[in-house]
Amino acid sequence: MSRKAKANPKKPPSPHDMDSTALAARAEAELALSRHKEAIELYKELLKRERRPIWVEGLAACYAGRAHSLAAKGMLKEALVLWRNRRQICGKPLVEGPYLTWLMQAGERGEAMRLLADSSLPEAARAELETRLAATLLTLPQNTPLPDLPADSALLRHRPAALAALQAYGQGDWAALGECLQAIPFRSPYRDLKPLLKALALLTTDPAAATDRATEVIARLPADGPFERLAAALRCAVLPAGRWLTALHGLDEVGRQLVLDLKGCPDPLRPLLLELAKLGDHPNPGQFFDLLARHRRVLPEGMAANFCRQLLPHAANRQKSHTDIFGALPEVERSHLAAQAVEARGERGPATPHWRRMAELLGGNPEKKRHAALIWRRLSGMDLAALGEAGALLTDAIVCLERSVDLDPDQRDTQLRLIAEHRHAGALQHARARLDQALPRFPKDAELLLEAVRVALAGKAFKKAVGLAKRVLELDPINPKVRRLIGQAHFSHARKQIKAKNLPSARKELEAAAEWLRGSEDGATLNLLRALAGDDPASADTAIRDVVADLGGALLGGFHLALEAGRLGLDAAKLLKQGKVDLAATPAPATVVALARALEAAREMDTTLRDTTLRNALNPLRPALRRAAAGRYAESEQRLICEAWLRRKESELLRLYADAALKQRPRQPLFVYFKAMAQYANMPYRIPERMQYDLEDAAEAARAQGDRRTFQRIQDLLHPVESDSFYPEDEGDFVGGLMNDDPGAMFELLLHMGGEEALFSMARQAMGKKTFDALRKELGGNNKEFARALVEMMAQQARLGDVPAPAPRKPGPRKPSDINQRNLFDD
Amino acid sequence: MTDPYRLLGVPATADDETIRLAYLAAIRACPPERDRHRFEQLRAAYEAIASAQARRSHALFDTTAPTPEDVLDALSATFQPRRPSEQRLRRVLGEKP
Repeated sequence: MSRKAKANPKKPPSPHDMDSTALAARAEAELALSRHKEAIELYKELLKRERRPIWVEGLAACYAGRAHSLAAKGMLKEALVLWRNRRQICGKPLVEGPYLTWLMQAGERGEAMRLLADSSLPEAARAELETRLAATLLTLPQNTPLPDLPADSALLRHRPAALAALQAYGQGDWAALGECLQAIPFRSPYRDLKPLLKALALLTTDPAAATDRATEVIARLPADGPFERLAAALRCAVLPAGRWLTALHGLDEVGRQLVLDLKGCPDPLRPLLLELAKLGDHPNPGQFFDLLARHRRVLPEGMAANFCRQLLPHAANRQKSHTDIFGALPEVERSHLAAQAVEARGERGPATPHWRRMAELLGGNPEKKRHAALIWRRLSGMDLAALGEAGALLTDAIVCLERSVDLDPDQRDTQLRLIAEHRHAGALQHARARLDQALPRFPKDAELLLEAVRVALAGKAFKKAVGLAKRVLELDPINPKVRRLIGQAHFSHARKQIKAKNLPSARKELEAAAEWLRGSEDGATLNLLRALAGDDPASADTAIRDVVADLGGALLGGFHLALEAGRLGLDAAKLLKQGKVDLAATPAPATVVALARALEAAREMDTTLRDTTLRNALNPLRPALRRAAAGRYAESEQRLICEAWLRRKESELLRLYADAALKQRPRQPLFVYFKAMAQYANMPYRIPERMQYDLEDAAEAARAQGDRRTFQRIQDLLHPVESDSFYPEDEGDFVGGLMNDDPGAMFELLLHMGGEEALFSMARQAMGKKTFDALRKELGGNNKEFARALVEMMAQQARLGDVPAPAPRKPGPRKPSDINQRNLFDD
Repeated sequence: MTDPYRLLGVPATADDETIRLAYLAAIRACPPERDRHRFEQLRAAYEAIASAQARRSHALFDTTAPTPEDVLDALSATFQPRRPSEQRLRRVLGEKP
């Protein structure tokens, strides 16, 4: 098919074929649509036929519109041609609207001078033109004839004063400058020069003090005035430090040099500063490095090397250039740089070996021991864990803390944390040794003394604990923690006596506890223990029922009774019956919240309390707690309860409450996380694909909501090894290598990273379920002891080649990140 | 500017008291109601180098890249402000070289 056949049938007819009415309508329409070029052709055709005034006006409007659009694109010469056509064809005045502005902007000063000599120029236009030409007249080369202007022209009359003012400024003659500026009236075409020279004088005489005043003076000037280039340079010069450097790039070359004069930049540094200005506020580190390296010879000694070194972690590919230019870095610096480069990428784990190496090297230098101590402290991860989160660190981290404290025993926080870690790990000997080292250094530190109380209590040295507690109270008489600690210690002692049927001694202990304790909850426990330590069984029943009532009802009362039963080795069901605890009704949400708080408080106050004792105390309450999951809770309450279940590893309850929360608040990121933790906390690598998608969505939502903690927790769950690895990514065969070299260490590492469950899972796979179960039965003991025995046994077998090496870096289960968790309960 | 020493106008060898006095002078000159952003910068700078341990920590673990403003600040100590010549002024006003 030919192209002609495809021609658009709607193509408008040629203007020549149209009658004038239709053509005028079309021209108007094109003009209304700002299609000036097309409209000009149509109006020209109309004017060929007849010179009607309305069509002349239309054409003039088209020229003006087209000229404006060209000027907006910076095509000033073309805009001026159209404006002149407008006068020639349509008879419009030339000097009106934007013409003079465009003329000056296009640099057509000769044409402007010629216009000025035109006697037919209207007075207003002449005054405007004189103002615009003021700067031009001041810069005419010597012996250039002045334009032929009337003798009374202000442009000529005030010119000598303006020139003299420039000269006076150049000579620094401030008195003469003042006189010259006085001679320029406020209606003069040179009027804008006055504030500019005043501001310049201010900046020259006292730059620091004059900046505000100079800014104020310049701000009063109209934009785009005749002295705009000078004004722009001064606007840049008065900007605060740093910002003027960026603004420098927006000036022309002479303007930049003027600003650099005002700032006092030495000539050799100017090329560097101009290039620096071009780089902007946030330059590419590599380019920045190159620039400094290139100009290093003009910089003060050592400055380029120092800045380039600071840039290196961000411009790793410039390391060779750095060595070539500034020489090789010592090993300690290389390790530092490698660690920083990794961290500058936003990673932390892979930096560990570099930090370790650096710490080892610095540790040998007596002047740098404290630096090394800080590195070890950081490697321990202590800075990442919130205060009061003792017990959350890994064994390796405790070793790092030990090294840190050995190098710098004056770090009180590190000492405190290390002692708490040893106490949590049950290493009381180590804790005491560290206390002996720390207490003489910080004898009046209440927190350290409090920790000493805890260590003494953990070692059942009650008298020593009381003595230390009294020292704490001397320093801090209202310290509630130490009061509770001592009160709880007396409780522990009383429980021991009750268990040994030594009731008079138990009662004595309880009276001692009463002196220390203040809280109502402690009061209820005291009453309960008093009832159990009493001589009269009949009055005991009443006292126990009163305690249940004091504690706020069946759920909370039941929990305390069951907990005490566990601690005292009594029958919980019997004690609950004795207290007439009725758990048939569904507990109210407020009591479940109170129970969650009580669980945390019990663990906090009695660190010797076993997890199994707590779990057993919950057993009689489970049916009621299951029913209560469907209740109406506030979001903060659900969060608090779920956190409590998570910390106590109550997976079933956690799943029930997370599900109920998600029904009320679908896709809420934190509850998506809780649900996943309930099912897969110990085996995150088994999280099904669908749940992984849900978790990824939840992480995104958490990030969008600014909930960084939930985001991080989900990331830790989804990518457990990457986010918490102590080993660099480039040590892919680390695990395999360790298996060959030291299988015992390998299994220790697995236990350390993945916990007991991961070790059991691997052992089950390696030896088969049947053998594993038989072994479990035979060895007995708790999980920890069994894990220890397994490690030894498997290491021995591996040395003989019986146990295959596990896949390197297999993601293992990890503890949920619980930074700041305790704060929730503080609320 | 990213360097806390430069922000507070103290040398890298300054002790706790010098730094504290420089910080107090800086926030007196720039209270939060005048320039919140600058005040926060000063505060962060002070916290970064307030104690010997903080200074060691900053030296070891800070990976903030220097900015052109840092370089300018380091150089400007040697600057001697001077009056532009008449010729420079005339050139800025449009005189041809």
